[in-house]
Amino acid sequence: MQEILSVCNLKKQFKLSYKQQKLQHTDKKVLTAVDGLSFTACKGEIFGLLGPNGAGKTTTLRMLATLITPDSGDAYIEGYSVVKQPDKVRSRIGFLTGELKLEDFFTPNYLFNFFSELYGVPADVRARRKNELFSRFGIDRFAEVKLANLSTGMKQKVSLVISVVNDPEFIIFDEPTNGLDVLTAKTVTDFLLELKAQGKTIILSTHIFSLVEKICDRVGIIIDGRLAALDTVSAMTKEKGLEDVFFDIYAQTAGGVQ
Amino acid sequence: MKGAFRGMAAIIKKEFARFFFDRRMLITTLILPGLLIYVVYTLMGSFVTNIAGDGNYSVAVKNMPGSMEPMFAAVEQFEISDADRDDDYYKSQVTEGGLDIYVIFPEDFDEIIAFAGTSGYVAPEVQIYYSSSADGSTAAYSAFAAVLDAYEQAISNVFNVNTGGNYDLSATSAATYILSAIVPMVLIVLLFSGCMAVAPESIAGEKERGTFATMLVTPVKRSHIAIGKIISLSCISLLSGLSSFLGLMLSLPNLMSGVFDGVDLAMFGAADYLMILGVMLSTVLLLVAMISCISALAKSVKEANSYIAPLNIIVVVVSLLSSFLGNPSAPLYLIPIYNSAMIVTDIMALAVSPLNFIIAIASNIVYAALLVFLLTRMFKSERIMFNR
Repeated sequence: MQEILSVCNLKKQFKLSYKQQKLQHTDKKVLTAVDGLSFTACKGEIFGLLGPNGAGKTTTLRMLATLITPDSGDAYIEGYSVVKQPDKVRSRIGFLTGELKLEDFFTPNYLFNFFSELYGVPADVRARRKNELFSRFGIDRFAEVKLANLSTGMKQKVSLVISVVNDPEFIIFDEPTNGLDVLTAKTVTDFLLELKAQGKTIILSTHIFSLVEKICDRVGIIIDGRLAALDTVSAMTKEKGLEDVFFDIYAQTAGGVQ
Repeated sequence: MKGAFRGMAAIIKKEFARFFFDRRMLITTLILPGLLIYVVYTLMGSFVTNIAGDGNYSVAVKNMPGSMEPMFAAVEQFEISDADRDDDYYKSQVTEGGLDIYVIFPEDFDEIIAFAGTSGYVAPEVQIYYSSSADGSTAAYSAFAAVLDAYEQAISNVFNVNTGGNYDLSATSAATYILSAIVPMVLIVLLFSGCMAVAPESIAGEKERGTFATMLVTPVKRSHIAIGKIISLSCISLLSGLSSFLGLMLSLPNLMSGVFDGVDLAMFGAADYLMILGVMLSTVLLLVAMISCISALAKSVKEANSYIAPLNIIVVVVSLLSSFLGNPSAPLYLIPIYNSAMIVTDIMALAVSPLNFIIAIASNIVYAALLVFLLTRMFKSERIMFNR
């Protein structure tokens, strides 16, 4: 299998302000969010990063998306380094996260065109893809309505479509179904499977066990910035459900649920 | 190469779309400032005119001396009538406002003053009744007394100062002087508020709403984002500044009509207006770049505005300085903001030096370019862009 992502000993620390130290009841001035993370993902697979809040999932994905730079280590996407060639990486990936917002003032149609231009998508390709994606998600019905007037589900659909505006081979989804109703969440998971069927590689972070069991090929469990376990979902859930496996691993590494 | 700038062009286009398709923003930043300035200054002008009155004074005179009649007849402001009724009638007229002043000369005024300078001479008294609570009456009193003074000076002539002929050697009028004192400061303050209306919203606002990060995930170069933002925001701020400037210039004749006439916008040629446009453009570039850098540091528009407040004060003070310091040397035109105010002062006084003009414009552009470089560095810094 062709390796598309390779993460090598990725590390990231954040400085804690005095206020944050007090909030977290700690004297430590530095918080290690990601601590020597290494894993790989192959072409055409959905790789899940599973972990509790604050485990370092989002920080890892942000480093892969080149929004923040690792303190040490590196990651290679399609052979390009996120540290040394961030521009190359950016043009090759799609990134969907709740943190990245779209301007409320504009319509889905305008935003699709705007981001197509930022990615340098030719006009004819843009028109074809817009047609396909808008009708696939039913966005054509509200293509000219300002985002401010759309529902959460509609907005998430627009964000989803815009995250793949450049038809990337490698797509990063950070908690893609968070805060969505079951119907919209299903639309999202169906789309992920569709992308996989097209041969795209997807890395996905979540804390929802069922989502991992349903769509991921392999899963890495992150606890306290370290990889606590990594295997195929089928191998990991051979004896018991993913949830139980997770709690066992958590108990071993972090000393039980508090 | 064309592809490389496509992202920048898209950002410029988006900023324009954000502004020009937003009716509320269009009205508040583009139409209202100019309109408000025009209306407010015109109203102020008409107040000044009202205070000064319509310039005509109704005067009733008892026993007008023959020698002085031609003097008062020559002053167009006075509408003089002979008083043929009793004093109380005219005094009550002055109190009620029907008459501006009532003047009583001694009956044989001319005969008495003919003996001026001889021994035993008692100076005759002229009584002027006026009402201090009415502006027109006070003004009429001063004007009438001034004519009397002039006459008194003339008949006891010892020496003369500046009688007849034009002794003012200044090539420009007082109007240009006032223009050169007021316009630069107001212009720069207006430009600053134009920049304030759009720049913090576009940088700190996008950061606050999380839409900036979405742009940073795309392969567009950080420098192109910075340049694209500065260019588009400068154009919008310049339009806002031009709207205010137009309002200011159009209202000036109305504002000053009560003080003096002679403010004529036609005294500035196309070259003067082009130079003003050049100064405005380079100043706006610099201001937008400054405000953008400060906004990039802030986490929200509110925070950005409070960071920018001290800059606002500095800009006002520095642009005010231009009216106080006369004839600065060429190197002083390297000082940002001050140089812009000085050039506008020079243009308004019709005394601009090409060298100073070029120094001012070029230095502003260089400063703006340096700030764009700084802004690019800031966009690359995760501590600045993502620290919460």
